[in-house]
Amino acid sequence: MSESNKPNKKSRYINPYLGGVLLGLVLIAANFVSGRGLGASGAAKSVIVATVNTVTPQHAENAQFYSEYNASHPEGPMKAWLVFQMLGVIVGAFLSGAIFNRLKFKVEHSPKITSRRRIIFAVLGGILFGFGSQLGRGCTSGSALSGMGVLSLGGFISMAFIFGTAFALAWFFRKNWI
Amino acid sequence: MREEIIVSGRNNYLIDPHLHIWHWQIPLYLFLGGLAAGILFFAAFFTLMGKENKYRTAVRIAPHLVPWVLVVGLFALLLDLKHQLYFWRLYTTIRLESPMSWGAWVLMLVTPLSFIWSAIHIKEIFPKWDWKFKILKDLEGFFTSKKTSIAWVMAISSIILGVYTGILFSAFNARPLWNTSILGPLFLASGLSAGAAVIMLLSKKHKERNMFAKIDIGIIVVELFLIIHMFMGFLASTQVQIDAAELFLGGPWTAPFWIFVVILGMIVPIFLEVLELRKFKIPVVIPAGLVLFGSLMLRFIIAYAGQESRWLY
Repeated sequence: MSESNKPNKKSRYINPYLGGVLLGLVLIAANFVSGRGLGASGAAKSVIVATVNTVTPQHAENAQFYSEYNASHPEGPMKAWLVFQMLGVIVGAFLSGAIFNRLKFKVEHSPKITSRRRIIFAVLGGILFGFGSQLGRGCTSGSALSGMGVLSLGGFISMAFIFGTAFALAWFFRKNWI
Repeated sequence: MREEIIVSGRNNYLIDPHLHIWHWQIPLYLFLGGLAAGILFFAAFFTLMGKENKYRTAVRIAPHLVPWVLVVGLFALLLDLKHQLYFWRLYTTIRLESPMSWGAWVLMLVTPLSFIWSAIHIKEIFPKWDWKFKILKDLEGFFTSKKTSIAWVMAISSIILGVYTGILFSAFNARPLWNTSILGPLFLASGLSAGAAVIMLLSKKHKERNMFAKIDIGIIVVELFLIIHMFMGFLASTQVQIDAAELFLGGPWTAPFWIFVVILGMIVPIFLEVLELRKFKIPVVIPAGLVLFGSLMLRFIIAYAGQESRWLY
């Protein structure tokens, strides 16, 4: 997986504004194709519920979070289109990386911090995001973007608060990037 | 007293409404058997074509896996048996109409051949290997001199082995999903494709990898063709067969079959292999791993879905 063997063009990424419009169209199309919007945290939730169901079925029965989810998914947590959507995201991302010669193991971070610091903060942020997505009934894609796509008021509020909070707190963590 | 005459096996335990007799052992064994058949076929084929030096991994390296693959597979098969100590009775009879008899006898042929093939090529892996006893050295010399004949027997018997892994299901006429003769060629093709994937994984030579990528693409296209024909055949058949096909066309096995077997196990690897042939940098473990995964899933899904398919009542 060395450097590109084709003449390197300036940018192999799509124009971000065009990308945003395409992403919006995908969000709307998901509702027509699957009957419900797409999301990124749903698959993780399915995997976690399936794991808890297998490892400690008793806890899954007693804890409200798991029992409610299991009651509303009688066919099992893994039989959700979001799980397959996530597989598709991984495969699609891999293929796009392969086509544009970007396949490479690396940690992207600011030159001023180490990879280790970047990974630690990413894990911490991911944990907070996991809690946040469950308290907020969906993550950026599932609640904010998909919600806004169908003109749900909750979607607009989530979006305002996700970005508002990020904007407000960015000052404290700016040294990790700039 | 009310007397009942039972004329069907359906009243037996674990038979109706769904069969519950074949678990993970059988699909795992069928996968490993098909994989062994695939690797041995390519080894024999390229030996007979006189391309032994050009495709060294296929002929001399990859077959070293086959004895292990067969031993694990046959052990899984043994675990499935109810009366394990009586397995040898398969070898007290020859029944041309029974796929199990064909399988037992062809394994009796293929397993020792795979050990012999590994033994005469063992110096490829351990250059300082010494057989220690004169009789073993003489045997090695004898088998090496008969290599072409062995390759012929191996090529034919590996095809029989590959087909048999599918016929084992399709001779089971009580399950409509299995009762199609396409399963024989489909499982053979899937085994050959898995064998090509393993050779691709082990090969260090670019040319050999590309050759097997091309072979793999061809075989997967044949597999897709066979799968389409399987469903066309089911849908043009009786209601029980239509119901069996519906398990994959909207029924409970739709998502696993089309996503794991067809998309992830066939279409994505074809796409990656085509990219690789066009000089894109693709880590070979991804297409090869996906092919092996798809091949394994095909056996599991056909085994489990077949037990769910049934006659009307």
